[in-house]
Amino acid sequence: MEPKRIRRFSPLDRMFHLALMLTFILQSATGFGRLFITTPWGQGLCRVFGGYDNALVVHQWVGVVMIWGFLAHIGFLLARIQWKRLPESVFGGDSLVPNAQDLKRFGQQVRWFLGKGGPPRHDRWTYWEKFDYWAVFWGMPLLAVTGLMLMHPIASSRYVEGWVLNVAALLHRAEAILAVTYIFVVHFFIGHLRPTSFPMNEAMFSGTVTLKHAVEEKPEWVARLEGEGRLHDAAAAPPASWYRTLYFIFGYLVLCTGIYLLASAIAYSRHIQLH
Amino acid sequence: MRQGTQTKWPAVVPIAMPLLVMLLFLSGKAAGQEEVASAARRYKAYEESTGYYEQFEVLPGRRQAVRRIPGVGQEPFAYSPTAALVRSRTHLADSHQSLKFYENLRCEYCHPDQARDLHTVRANLTCRQCHGGEPIASMDHYYSLMNPIRRHAYVCAKCHEGASASFASYVIHAPAAGSRLARQTFPVLYYAYWFMLALLVGTLAFFIPHSFLVGLRELLPPRTKEET
Repeated sequence: MEPKRIRRFSPLDRMFHLALMLTFILQSATGFGRLFITTPWGQGLCRVFGGYDNALVVHQWVGVVMIWGFLAHIGFLLARIQWKRLPESVFGGDSLVPNAQDLKRFGQQVRWFLGKGGPPRHDRWTYWEKFDYWAVFWGMPLLAVTGLMLMHPIASSRYVEGWVLNVAALLHRAEAILAVTYIFVVHFFIGHLRPTSFPMNEAMFSGTVTLKHAVEEKPEWVARLEGEGRLHDAAAAPPASWYRTLYFIFGYLVLCTGIYLLASAIAYSRHIQLH
Repeated sequence: MRQGTQTKWPAVVPIAMPLLVMLLFLSGKAAGQEEVASAARRYKAYEESTGYYEQFEVLPGRRQAVRRIPGVGQEPFAYSPTAALVRSRTHLADSHQSLKFYENLRCEYCHPDQARDLHTVRANLTCRQCHGGEPIASMDHYYSLMNPIRRHAYVCAKCHEGASASFASYVIHAPAAGSRLARQTFPVLYYAYWFMLALLVGTLAFFIPHSFLVGLRELLPPRTKEET
């Protein structure tokens, strides 16, 4: 008998995502609070964290936590690679590394948009999910390095020229705005609002998806699991109802906070007095 | 002792772990300690902050991000009735020398863009707190406080303890990052700005329509051959 539900994310994956959600939303709030301090909205946001100066302290500490989390994530990635079957492990269907299949599926996706043919048969990760992951992955070191430079300007100006701090400040802000916009628009739309996800794509919280959903969305993944005889090992129990309630409330709280932050930032962007 | 039932940590772990944790919480060296703290970089740091190597005065490094003053000496006939372009005011003892009605003007009247940086808008510094009282000497005048030889020590270090000449090459009044002025005077900032903007616009220009179309197609699947 086929299982009703299969596992998609390990508890560690979900823990990383949860930690990233919490730190990301804190960084957005403290960062925007400081960027918009000349507006009433920014002042209100900073007041939540104890004012302009304290918001920076929070921002820095959360940033340090993020850096340690990112390093832990790298360690976890290295541990997860199966070194004995390296090419398969890195470029196979369970890996988030982009491959030639993604290009092919993107072509099919465009044809589907134009009404020619059905949707592509996705494997475990669609190409936009892979983009989601790598966008954050490369954004982290950029924000970390520029953030550390701005945290310790005197020390870092011993190793680079002081005017590099001008560039670091610009890059930190630009990358942050890029990340916030992408996550609060594209990622939230894909995760919550598009018809197959609405009201919420629960996989990242429950860690599981129903087999029916997986067959519709990721047929190639299910086929591969079946072919390798791993479908039964992937069987999982549905989430407890209290847990489901909890993550629905939490997810929507973060969603609303994110959209509130982005909408207010756009509305107040004309009033930043800086260049 | 039984073998194999218990993992034994290498001796370095109990020593290294508390050190790593302490690294997180301990503060760095004080700026004064830092001066000659590194044997390898000792003289560089010393030269940078004092302008001296033993008893000899050394030239500051060419560390300006600003490459040239735009509009000055660029054209083949850079003369005008007011001589505004020819008179580069960067070497005068009084940079506002002979400006009419100077006493009645506020700094921002002539330098509006210079009042939009972090130091002015966020730290609420006034111009005088760094540039000093009258007469305000030009940046490159030898005795100016703002001369890169001593700017870090006389100006920056008032608030930023341990400021070096390199630190002082941070451009306080950076031009607006995307402007033509930035392209002329601070090209790295200019290209960083446009690169990041292109990345933002490019990512959103791809993914917003993409997500919208995914949503649309899921609501309205394409008609099959039989239906058409």
